[in-house]
Amino acid sequence: MFVPARRSAFRHAGEVGEPIIKDYMDTWNIIPQLLISGITFGAIYALVGLGFVTIARASQIINFAQGEFVMLGGMVTFFLLKTIPLPYPLAALSAILIVVLIGFLLHLLVIYPLRKATLPILLMATLGASLFLSSSSALLFGTLPKALPPFSGSGPFEIGKVSVSPQSLWVLVATLLVLLSLYLLSHRTLLGKAMEASSTDALGADLSGISRHLMIFLAFGVSAGIGSIAGIFITPIFYVSYHSGTLIGLKGFIAAVLGGWGKHGGAILGGFVLGVTESLSVAFIPSGYKDAIAFIILLLILYLRPKGILGSPFIDSRRW
Amino acid sequence: MVDQVHKEFRKRDLLYSGALWLLSLIIPDPQLHYRREYQLRRRDLFYLLTILLLPLIWNDAHFHHLMVLAGIHGILALGLTLFLGYAGQISLGHAAFFGIGSYTTAILTTRYDISSFLAFWASGLTASFFAYLIGRPILKLKGYFLALATLGFGEIFLVLVRESPHLTGGVIGIFDIPFFSIAGFIFDTYLRQYYLIWGVLIGLVLFSKNLIRSKMGRAFLAVAASEDGASAVGIDVNGIKLGVFVMGAAFAGLAGSLFASVMSTANPDIFSLNLSVLIVMMVILGGMGNLYGPIAGAVFLTWLIDGLSRYQEYSLPIYGVILILLLIFFPDGIGTRLRVRLIYLISYWGRKRRREKVEL
Repeated sequence: MFVPARRSAFRHAGEVGEPIIKDYMDTWNIIPQLLISGITFGAIYALVGLGFVTIARASQIINFAQGEFVMLGGMVTFFLLKTIPLPYPLAALSAILIVVLIGFLLHLLVIYPLRKATLPILLMATLGASLFLSSSSALLFGTLPKALPPFSGSGPFEIGKVSVSPQSLWVLVATLLVLLSLYLLSHRTLLGKAMEASSTDALGADLSGISRHLMIFLAFGVSAGIGSIAGIFITPIFYVSYHSGTLIGLKGFIAAVLGGWGKHGGAILGGFVLGVTESLSVAFIPSGYKDAIAFIILLLILYLRPKGILGSPFIDSRRW
Repeated sequence: MVDQVHKEFRKRDLLYSGALWLLSLIIPDPQLHYRREYQLRRRDLFYLLTILLLPLIWNDAHFHHLMVLAGIHGILALGLTLFLGYAGQISLGHAAFFGIGSYTTAILTTRYDISSFLAFWASGLTASFFAYLIGRPILKLKGYFLALATLGFGEIFLVLVRESPHLTGGVIGIFDIPFFSIAGFIFDTYLRQYYLIWGVLIGLVLFSKNLIRSKMGRAFLAVAASEDGASAVGIDVNGIKLGVFVMGAAFAGLAGSLFASVMSTANPDIFSLNLSVLIVMMVILGGMGNLYGPIAGAVFLTWLIDGLSRYQEYSLPIYGVILILLLIFFPDGIGTRLRVRLIYLISYWGRKRRREKVEL
């Protein structure tokens, strides 16, 4: 049996999807470092959760292929950067465009034909789309995990005893910008209000002349864009491989539910709470259990407070 | 107009009813639960004979092995169809109960030398025990959130299995599980395993048939139709949901036990989300609210996956596309859809010929 000799907290350090942390000896000394990495994780979950929220605010669909957009964002950028040597910003922009196109196609080919389908069928269809996207990206880009070069600077800089990678700051900035633009979209433009109307009251939206399917179509594009931005910003820190989309997507969804399903601020708050909790848990329990933490939080929040921390506009009654 | 057409008897109706009778032999009845009482029909005899004779006629080891897998998937789908097809709840964590059953048998037979027959029942009990524990809190959820909660349970199960190598062998799993045996008779060839699995499946189908025509079975349909309505007529909605969840988990646990003792291995990779998705697909493609459909769906999807495995790395993308296409074109099950289409076509031919006659 290949049981590891020492079940250290950092057994997986350097592996796929794990931050590379120096192996400090004392548990309490690494707490600030874990906090920093937790905030980075939290920003990522928040970004992915915002993608879910965008679709939820335009229709009551939950798109399980959201994580694949994140994976594709990183993968396509890597492909454009390395195989067709494009300059970095151009590669990133074209990757976002390509993923937005994939999001539109997902709506046109899967969601729109199933507009009258019942819930289990829609659920299965988005899961099938997620399977298709991840396995075809394995075909197209190979199965090896990939990492993009960081946006700026090379090594991490030190604040006191804590080392912070510049890319983490980039992720935080991206989260803030996406949050800001989503807020402006849904609170300051007619388009955003039309999107929200098509989710809250389908008949009312139809009567006021809003094309509901167009709104859902646009929401899929926006959410694919957010997913790909997340993918591009996180691939310099964490290796992205063809199967890493599912777990990131699920955790983003958990973040959105934890903060308050359907609220932008909720996704952000939930993301940070989830990221920090997960990171800090590494100090106390073996890191293999880290993935279970998110799902335990999901079960607890669904049982104790399905509305989420901030409350949800879609889940109003006690029985839902 | 249409009623008048159907009132009078025409000679060609004999032909149509013959075609429909033949069709009704092969295609599961989508409206089984509308019948007052279930009775053993000629169709069941047909199915039974097919199941008994097919492996003898098609005497091929690969076929037997595939049908063993299909039978195990059939038991899983049968358990889920009670939950998804009859009670209208969705679960994406069914593979976890399959895994619990599998590991129970694996641990009991390899560590404690308990006979596989006893381990078989213990697996069902263990799976239903865990289903009771997990079902109590999460079954108040609905729709997407129930799906997510059960999915979360499945993922937690996988993490626990991977991280406790002393109990479950970690990512490597448990090997050399003894074959299933009753009173010294060992099911060691594919043919014997085929009869074992399908025998268990037939027993569970009979059980489910009796269940769904019982008071509890009618309550499933009421809960699926409207929970508020069901509770208004005095049905204990939470109890019914918990009961059907536990029962589906028990089926999955039995299937897991059979899987462990037939494949003689238990490995966390098998019980992943993909298997849960596959089981739900079997139920959807078989048609909601009937018992034979999911089993047919299980056989169909098992064959499809085996056929696709020839294309190696292209198999998964093709599988994804086929799943989406099947969902788009057969949203209420392949059998149901075909049956409705064929009945429509037959009646259309009848009306068309009659119209032509009138115009002449």
